Amino acid sequence: MAGLTVVIAEDAALFREGLARLIEDRGHHVAAAVPDGDSLLYAVDQHHPDVVVADIRMPPTHTDEGLRAAIDLRARHPGTGVLVLSQYVETSYAARLMEGSAVGVGYLLKDRVADTADFADALERVAAGGTALDPEVVSQLVRASRRADGLATLTPRERQVLALMAEGKSNAGIAAALVITDSVVEKHVASIFGKLRLPPSEADNRRVLAVLRYLGA
Amino acid sequence: MSPGPAAQPPGRRDRGGRARLASALTAIGRAPVSRRARQELLFCLASVPLGSAVLAFPAALAGLLVLAAGLSAGSRQYRARPADAAGFLGPVVIVVLLALVVLIVLAPRIGRGLGVVHRRLAAGLLSQRIVAPRAVRAGGRGPLAWVAATLRDGPGWRAVAYLAAKLPLVLLEAYAAIVWWGAGLANLTYPLWFPWFRNHPPSVRLSPVPALTPFGVLHIGTLPDTLVAFAAGASMVLAAPWVTSGVVLVDSWLMHALLGPGRLAQRVADLEQARALAVDDSAALLRRVERDLHDGAQIRLATVALNLGMALDKLDAGTGQSDLTVARDLVSTAHQGAKDAMAELRGLARGIHPPALDNGLADALATLAAGCPVPVDLTVDIPRRPTPAIETIAYFCTAELLANAVKHSGANKIAVGVAGQGELLLVQVGDNGRGGATPAEGGGLAGLAQRVRTVDGRLEIASPPGGPTRVTVSLPLHA
Repeated sequence: MAGLTVVIAEDAALFREGLARLIEDRGHHVAAAVPDGDSLLYAVDQHHPDVVVADIRMPPTHTDEGLRAAIDLRARHPGTGVLVLSQYVETSYAARLMEGSAVGVGYLLKDRVADTADFADALERVAAGGTALDPEVVSQLVRASRRADGLATLTPRERQVLALMAEGKSNAGIAAALVITDSVVEKHVASIFGKLRLPPSEADNRRVLAVLRYLGA
Repeated sequence: MSPGPAAQPPGRRDRGGRARLASALTAIGRAPVSRRARQELLFCLASVPLGSAVLAFPAALAGLLVLAAGLSAGSRQYRARPADAAGFLGPVVIVVLLALVVLIVLAPRIGRGLGVVHRRLAAGLLSQRIVAPRAVRAGGRGPLAWVAATLRDGPGWRAVAYLAAKLPLVLLEAYAAIVWWGAGLANLTYPLWFPWFRNHPPSVRLSPVPALTPFGVLHIGTLPDTLVAFAAGASMVLAAPWVTSGVVLVDSWLMHALLGPGRLAQRVADLEQARALAVDDSAALLRRVERDLHDGAQIRLATVALNLGMALDKLDAGTGQSDLTVARDLVSTAHQGAKDAMAELRGLARGIHPPALDNGLADALATLAAGCPVPVDLTVDIPRRPTPAIETIAYFCTAELLANAVKHSGANKIAVGVAGQGELLLVQVGDNGRGGATPAEGGGLAGLAQRVRTVDGRLEIASPPGGPTRVTVSLPLHA
């Protein structure tokens, strides 16, 4: 997928510039790169981007204005994907961000940006209405899950597939990540849903929500 | 002979002595009309009704005791007819005894109430601030807990002790106010009205009019006698301020000792406050470190990784000259970013704990002084090494004071002196700048004073407008 319109909100100038350059290099168009939450909302109203990349901690309070702006955006512009970046991952932030729906939403550590291909993939996924959840959040969720009994019934490979599903990857994405074929992934997914007694669902983002709900997010 | 103050010509010395005598006499003459004399007199006068109120308490107690004793004796007499005696008087005795118990239980509360009045009087009339003791510590709910808390209330009982000590003192205060002031002023008036009442026929003998003095009663029978009364009155009024001052001095000493929070309680309150400051201080420090990391080194490293990631893309993408140039560019940016991140981390680490401090305050301060943009004259004389915590606080105080001097004073010379003196470490930072430094709320100096107080230290600022500024921090050698 190419030619997305993107708006960036990040208060650190060097990182903001790097981010813009990276996204432009991938053939997308950065319509605006702004340093705080208010100007982000304004820029989105102006440019109607396909996807927004927002830092969580920005001026003036340096707490969670990026997150609040993102939640606001998701309500006001349901068609716009929102990818939130942060130097820390907080499962509570992920829960607030994905409350109700996992359509077109992402939450990644800033570290992930360095793996440019993965980041571009996540950005495009979110723009297309998919989900991108940081592996760190997923592993935190799995560690803290009260469903340890159910998870214990999974094979190690199935647990890997479950984690990748929770991150929001499609079957094709999971197959690429684990270097296996699509049909093997499908078999694993069916097996996981059977063992955890989850209702099978077709759309990737519903699948993410089902898995996250199972993990207790 | 050397011309100095000791070798002045006799005439000048006399004049100096006369001037001193004149000023002393002026002081004595003005004392009765001074504001202080008036306020102290008012305090003595106000004490009289208060003392009577206090007196009412033991009087009520004694009265009730007598009543109870009398009634029980009476009821014993009437025991022959229990129907109308014990049946009626028994409950009365019980009621009186109950009232007695209630009075005793109430004593600390009454004491506290009158303590409030006395502290206000002291503040209003004597300009003496006495800190109120802590409130009664409630042990729980319900009347029994209330009574228990009251009976265990140390400050309440100390206030009762004050009131007990106040009883004899009230007599002295009344004596000073009535005899020295009242009678003294009255005696001054004798020559004025005496002739009016003495225009009787020569054959009539009138008994002399008494005039009250602290040393006995004068009998004024003739007009010249009234002059004696006037003289006595004048000396009494001149002496009255000193008498009242003396009595009030005793009273205020008692108030400080018994109506304040008590030395131990005060110490506990101080320590509680110091602990709260220390906890706040360390929490604020951690928050600042996190913030500095987040906004500094962390984001720089994230940017480095981002640039290297893009460089990798370029190197993977092709072998064209332009790709290589861009990749080189990106790597060079990342390289600079990594160096910046290192510098930032180094600064942050030094801000947490300067490594030079491990070799002692002298080394660390030398490094600090060398890095100061304004020339610093540093003298360090520490015979005994303070504990690390004190060294750290002394170091950061000096750093902050130096930064302040550089930023605000406009000085071109700064002197830093650090000296061990007995159990104290004294840090003095002086500059020749424009002065006018104040410990404004929320400012750097106020924060410094707070940090110093966490270890029972003190910070003193001498900074008149126009300068020079000298800030002295005294810290204990051991925290």
